[in-house]
Amino acid sequence: MTGSAEPALLLRGVTVRFGERTALQDVDLEVPRGQFVALTGPNGSGKTTLLRAALGFLTPQAGSVQLFGNEVGRLSIAERARRVAWVPQEESPRENAPLLDYVLYGRYAHLGWLQGETARDREAAVRALRSVGLEERAGDGVLSVSGGEKQRAILARALAQEAPLVLLDEPTSHLDIAHQLDFLSRVRGLSRERGVTIVAALHDLNLAAQFSDRIVVLSRGRRVADGAPADVLSEELLARVWGVVADLRRDPRTGVPYLLPHQLVRPASSPPGTFLEKGPVHVVGGGGSGAPYLRALSEAGYRVTVGALHLLDSDLETAESLGALTAVEVPFAPIGDEVRERLRTLLEAATAIVVAPFPVGPSNLPNLEEVRRLLGRVPIFLIRRAPGTEWDFAGGKARAIEGELRDGGAREVVGVAEMLAALAATPVASTPQ
Amino acid sequence: MVTPPPRIARASGRRPWVLGLLLALLGVGVFFSPILGTVAVSPETVLKILLHQASGGTLFSDPCAGGSVPASGCAGLIEIVWDARLSEIMLAVVVGAGLGISGGTLQGVFRNPLADPFLLGISSGGTLGAAVVVVFRIGVSEQNLVLPLFAFVGAIGTGVVILIAARSRFGSVETLLLTGVALSSFLSAVLALLLLYSPTGSLQVDFWLLGNLGSLDWTQDGIAFGVVLVAGTLLATYGRELNLLQLGPDVAQSLGVDSRKVRVRLLLLASVTTAAAVAFTGIIGFVGLVSPHVVRRIAGSDYRIVLPGAALVGGGFLLAARDLSLIAFPGTLLPIGIFTSFAGAPFFAYLLFRRRGASTMGVP
Repeated sequence: MTGSAEPALLLRGVTVRFGERTALQDVDLEVPRGQFVALTGPNGSGKTTLLRAALGFLTPQAGSVQLFGNEVGRLSIAERARRVAWVPQEESPRENAPLLDYVLYGRYAHLGWLQGETARDREAAVRALRSVGLEERAGDGVLSVSGGEKQRAILARALAQEAPLVLLDEPTSHLDIAHQLDFLSRVRGLSRERGVTIVAALHDLNLAAQFSDRIVVLSRGRRVADGAPADVLSEELLARVWGVVADLRRDPRTGVPYLLPHQLVRPASSPPGTFLEKGPVHVVGGGGSGAPYLRALSEAGYRVTVGALHLLDSDLETAESLGALTAVEVPFAPIGDEVRERLRTLLEAATAIVVAPFPVGPSNLPNLEEVRRLLGRVPIFLIRRAPGTEWDFAGGKARAIEGELRDGGAREVVGVAEMLAALAATPVASTPQ
Repeated sequence: MVTPPPRIARASGRRPWVLGLLLALLGVGVFFSPILGTVAVSPETVLKILLHQASGGTLFSDPCAGGSVPASGCAGLIEIVWDARLSEIMLAVVVGAGLGISGGTLQGVFRNPLADPFLLGISSGGTLGAAVVVVFRIGVSEQNLVLPLFAFVGAIGTGVVILIAARSRFGSVETLLLTGVALSSFLSAVLALLLLYSPTGSLQVDFWLLGNLGSLDWTQDGIAFGVVLVAGTLLATYGRELNLLQLGPDVAQSLGVDSRKVRVRLLLLASVTTAAAVAFTGIIGFVGLVSPHVVRRIAGSDYRIVLPGAALVGGGFLLAARDLSLIAFPGTLLPIGIFTSFAGAPFFAYLLFRRRGASTMGVP
């Protein structure tokens, strides 16, 4: 149909807008034949839109989309179906067709008007069922098989379609881990054995790294990273694109990178470009002193982290009711190394630190010591204490540290409103470490 | 490549032979139904007349011999059996078939088991067209054709409005359904207003609303038969596309179906078929709703079977309604719409409650 030099899928300067919202912005992408590309990115980054543009479901406002060298909009719908097959995230069939019939639906684009399915079509369908391990279930209704089997049946239908390019949109999001592995192994097998080109939107980065030849990362409608999994996946990428702190490891057997995400550095729902998206605010408090600030921050849309606190502290109750990450020590004990480590992680992930007017004794003095470590790296706000109350029970050490903080640039604020105003006015440094 | 074992070939949940059975049953029904009528004619004479007429007069040269012959002579009996009864029967079959296949189509297009030909406001449009003729006394001398013509135009006009909505960018299935419901209410309001100013017309319109097979002739049959046959045959060729549309318009398109174009065509054809059916008989409820479900239960849910099957079941349903009405109330032919609703509503409830998981169209 076209010269073999043409890429399976080619996007040039593709821009798609839905009203005010830009779903894809000037995206270029070239997928050579036979490649398995994992398309990934946060929710709303444009993965599905890209696939829909490639299928010709929507017409980009700008740019061109080509399938094997031809503009998708110029191909007839049947011709598109002969070139590209689609495996949607979920399909809800309304009729309990037997799996064999369901897979035979994939032959539609190969049949003439009123032409019945021939032996060749049935062979293609049976072969497709066999290659997804469902040959024995050919007579079972599609509504009566399990979710994993249904997804495999959809894959078989795409195979029966005999299109050289298969697009998959989150095909494993409704499957358990065993079925995810099974499904993606089969997809990779197709790509290896039959030379089928695969573009799969995948949320799971570890699965993407394990199965694909290439990972393309979208963020807010733009292509922000592209390359072999080992080159693309990094802690920096995860923090930047997903706002997640993760450890990157490598599978010692295969060298495939995998990620251990462990916390959010910003609320997933914050609007882009605001202070909010840059990270959580850490509150150091205790004995109820932190509660009003925690609540105010949470209501203003900040994600908060808290600690270290002792178990049974009323601030802890507040923190937990707000769903905040916390560092917690057993009652009355001094803050131990493990909790201190946890506190350090929370403080380092924060884009601002608020020190509530809490009473400081030897057991919770490490809170101030840890805050001091970040002086000059993160904006620190000290809530002014009520005059005349005794609060330093650590023999003057606490007062000394607070003095150091003030001298080192920590800003003293009075009350909730001033804290919020000061936070909102604070320019944001680059991505937290 | 190994040929698939026959087990797989058989397992495909489609029972096309049921269509043959339905066709045979319908044929038997059509043949014996003329026995029933508002005037008593012996079954033997009826069958002789049928064979006499069907064979062009070669069989039973005197079909009335041996039976009681009225004052009008054998020709009068032939007129009763052949012209009145058989044309009435054929119209019942054609209208039922049209409603059945339209119902099956619309349930498929809307992916909704409760869709039927009247859902889109097509019936209200037809009623309004008929009411205009009655209230404004248009073409009184030719009312047998003028009224159906106006009803047809009213029904098609409504269908066209729906089609315009379907072609628009916002033509989702939900939009279409709601457009139909809104149109239906609007047209009913216009109808009510019209009847307010012509109380004498309302009885005649009421009669039309109930659906009836009376006062017919072969011309009406011919027109209805022609339109339903052409539009219905075209509809029946879209079984495969309807199967694919059940997966959703996007999936269907990815498999090669031009979903929007096919949907518009199907709506147009279903509107024409329904309009042709209701134009001559008025509103006949439940046939379009129930017939496709009956076929699904007995022959599987493949639309290549459901569409022709729904036509056969619909024709049979209306014919049976006519016959049962004559058996239950000998001597009078009730407005047929009353009878189909009486029989159809409980039957439909029975179908729904008997439905099991393996059944169709996701009705809980």
